[in-house]
Amino acid sequence: MALKRSFASYLRLVAVFARFSLTREMAFRGNFVMKVLLELVWLGILLVFYRTLFRGVDSIAGWDSASFLFFLGCYYTLEGVVETLFLENFVEFSDLVRTGNLDLHLLKPIDEQFLLSIRLIDWSTVPKLFIGSGMMGVAVFQMGHPVSGWTLALFAALFVAGVSMAYSFLLILSSTAIWMVRNQSLMELWWLFSTLMRYPRDIYDVAWAWPVRMVFTFVLPALLVVSVPAEIVGKAILDPWWICWMLVSAIISLSGSRRIFIGSIASYRSASS
Amino acid sequence: MIDPPIISAKELSRHYRVAEKSPGLMGSLRALWGGRNRVIVAVDNVSFSIQPGEIVGFLGPNGAGKTTTLKMLSGLIYPSSGTAEVLGYVPWERADPFRRQFALVMGQKNQLWWDLPASDSFELHREIYSLPKDRFRRVMGELVELFGVAKLLRQPVRELSLGERMKMELIACLLHEPRVLMLDEPTIGLDVVAQQTIQRCLREYNQSKKATILLTSHYMRDVEALCQRVLVITNGKLVHDGPLAGIVQRFGAYKQVRLQFAGEAIPPGLRLPDSATVMGSVVDLSVSRDMVSETISGILEQFPVTDLTVSDPPLEEVVARYFQESASGAGA
Repeated sequence: MALKRSFASYLRLVAVFARFSLTREMAFRGNFVMKVLLELVWLGILLVFYRTLFRGVDSIAGWDSASFLFFLGCYYTLEGVVETLFLENFVEFSDLVRTGNLDLHLLKPIDEQFLLSIRLIDWSTVPKLFIGSGMMGVAVFQMGHPVSGWTLALFAALFVAGVSMAYSFLLILSSTAIWMVRNQSLMELWWLFSTLMRYPRDIYDVAWAWPVRMVFTFVLPALLVVSVPAEIVGKAILDPWWICWMLVSAIISLSGSRRIFIGSIASYRSASS
Repeated sequence: MIDPPIISAKELSRHYRVAEKSPGLMGSLRALWGGRNRVIVAVDNVSFSIQPGEIVGFLGPNGAGKTTTLKMLSGLIYPSSGTAEVLGYVPWERADPFRRQFALVMGQKNQLWWDLPASDSFELHREIYSLPKDRFRRVMGELVELFGVAKLLRQPVRELSLGERMKMELIACLLHEPRVLMLDEPTIGLDVVAQQTIQRCLREYNQSKKATILLTSHYMRDVEALCQRVLVITNGKLVHDGPLAGIVQRFGAYKQVRLQFAGEAIPPGLRLPDSATVMGSVVDLSVSRDMVSETISGILEQFPVTDLTVSDPPLEEVVARYFQESASGAGA
């Protein structure tokens, strides 16, 4: 494992991967346009759902129209970051294992986790970042109260923690491909994880949903990923306990997933040539 | 003073545990609980060392353990037991300085970006290996000229022929000027012209950079053209380590004898084994090494021979026969 090269050198590599991925997408422009359109349709459905809900009620589980729009924008941006930077790489990981093409990646003098996590950048999901950020901006405007620089900084830190937790979950799922070889359940499990992220954790604040809330808060903390950063701005909740737990969860997720990844690479058998 | 070996393997072994399953649906269901496992010995106590600058061929039938050995020496997989050093490093620790001085080329695997021109992949390689721009340009220029691919650099890799793509793969692996190069079937599926180009380029790279090359190939032409020394592995065990010519001495139990008789046909009364081939007055025989002089003197005494040659069988034939015998021995 090689993490000794400079941070600038890793940033340069991300820029090269981004440039090559865009060049590759441009070679198949029709496909690229279709993917972008599909993303916009999904966004449209999400917004219709949101408008329909708040036509009948003033708030849901303590979230009013503007704060819920902020939540949706936060979710959309966070999912956009994960999908743009990582998802395609992890989807392809089990193919690399199955075909043995992982061999050539492991021999490069670079941190394997970095290379395998970020070498393919999906430009078709970049619009999500802008649309999600735009939704958060509109929501803050609708809420009508100013957001301090301190709150924004805390939000940014928790947003990065949320991305780290989602990334770690994907890394753990992908690492299992080394042992399972075929790991087509990855997309289904990611769908489950992102579904848990998509709604505020307060909706599980009823007795019958208590086990779900406990498991997905303390064991696999998917419910925190969007809710905690969105609560900081959307509901002006600054609960130190939850902020600390979110940051600790992110650190545990990152270090734990790295250990699992390294363990899986050590078990790699390399497919027949 | 003798240089220390650049590659050394000591009692290297690799075992695999594989699940066994009876055929059919019931077999699959039974395998779900209490399936049986079998241990396969892919590489069994293999030891050898290679000096800097050598080109060594690694020969063996399919499944003999060649690629598994290469994968251990390149650091892709861990051995079950034994030790190895390449360039002074334990390969499976995959230290950065080791990976910067080493390259593995696999004829059936592709590291170039499929939809982009090869020159883009080379640029990415420069970033990954942190090569200074001037050194990168100089080495790339040399390699592009050596392989004769200047006109193909801007063409997407998917539009290149197999031979052209393999040349680009090799260039990508040589851009950081590795001191140790391991090649697993680098000419597989290529025509004779492309094979010869790759052989020539590898020889020139070895001579100009004093690089060490370990090569596996099923094409004996590759091995004959490049390697002074060969390692032969069958059923996971190293059975020969020495000069190429030694293979024929060691495994060639027969000599080829060609006899030309006076006249238009072979003389009446000449008794030939079933394996002999006859064309007019010329006869080709395979004769056991220890029977060559006795057989020839017997024929010369009785029949009018105008020409006689005794030679070793072609290397390819010797190796193929040996592999066939060892495979049937393993299966028995």
